[in-house]
Amino acid sequence: MEQLELQDLKVDKVVDARGTACPGPLLEAKKAIGTISSGEIMEILSADEGTKRDIPKWANKKGHEYMGTVEESGYFKIYLKKG
Amino acid sequence: MAKLCMGLFSGSLDKLTAAGVILSGAAADDMDVEVFVLLQGARAFIKDNESKIDNVAEATHLKDEFINSLEKLNVSKWYDFFEMAKEMTNIKIYICSLAGKIWGGEKLGDFNYLVDDLCGIGEYLTAAEEADIHMFI
Repeated sequence: MEQLELQDLKVDKVVDARGTACPGPLLEAKKAIGTISSGEIMEILSADEGTKRDIPKWANKKGHEYMGTVEESGYFKIYLKKG
Repeated sequence: MAKLCMGLFSGSLDKLTAAGVILSGAAADDMDVEVFVLLQGARAFIKDNESKIDNVAEATHLKDEFINSLEKLNVSKWYDFFEMAKEMTNIKIYICSLAGKIWGGEKLGDFNYLVDDLCGIGEYLTAAEEADIHMFI
């Protein structure tokens, strides 16, 4: 998705994992995705570079849709749709 | 579900932390995990020994830098990684019986809350044979 489209998404759950290094954000994402329903959208905030590649790969493997990443200053936002 | 088998020989803080991070990844992936704790590794799992391990590192000259940096980065303690991972997926931790004896642990009650049972070396090799991924740390 385009950056602007991502910014406008209606998000069902926000996970702020900026305080942790790998594997913190992945674990937070894993825990949180269990609390939303199929088709709902989750936004993960992370400041850990490894997470940028890790979470999309994990999501695809687990049957969730990786929608895109938005870069902010000092952190980024990853969007997933639960499968 | 993928099966991971880990031989955990090291009882040092640096490698236990690595093992904890790997187990966390396995937990995020819903893997079935069996950890076989061998020889020196068992010392870390004797009841109340978890934090004694803070003094044990394989690369001793890097120990202080390593520990300080982990704290600064807000990285969990190795045993917290293990506990969190166990809460999230099916992870069994077995202590090889010889390993336990070396550090004074004879029965399950001598070990901490992370440990599921004692085992023999045959079970470790069978698990390694049947696993999709086998690692030795």
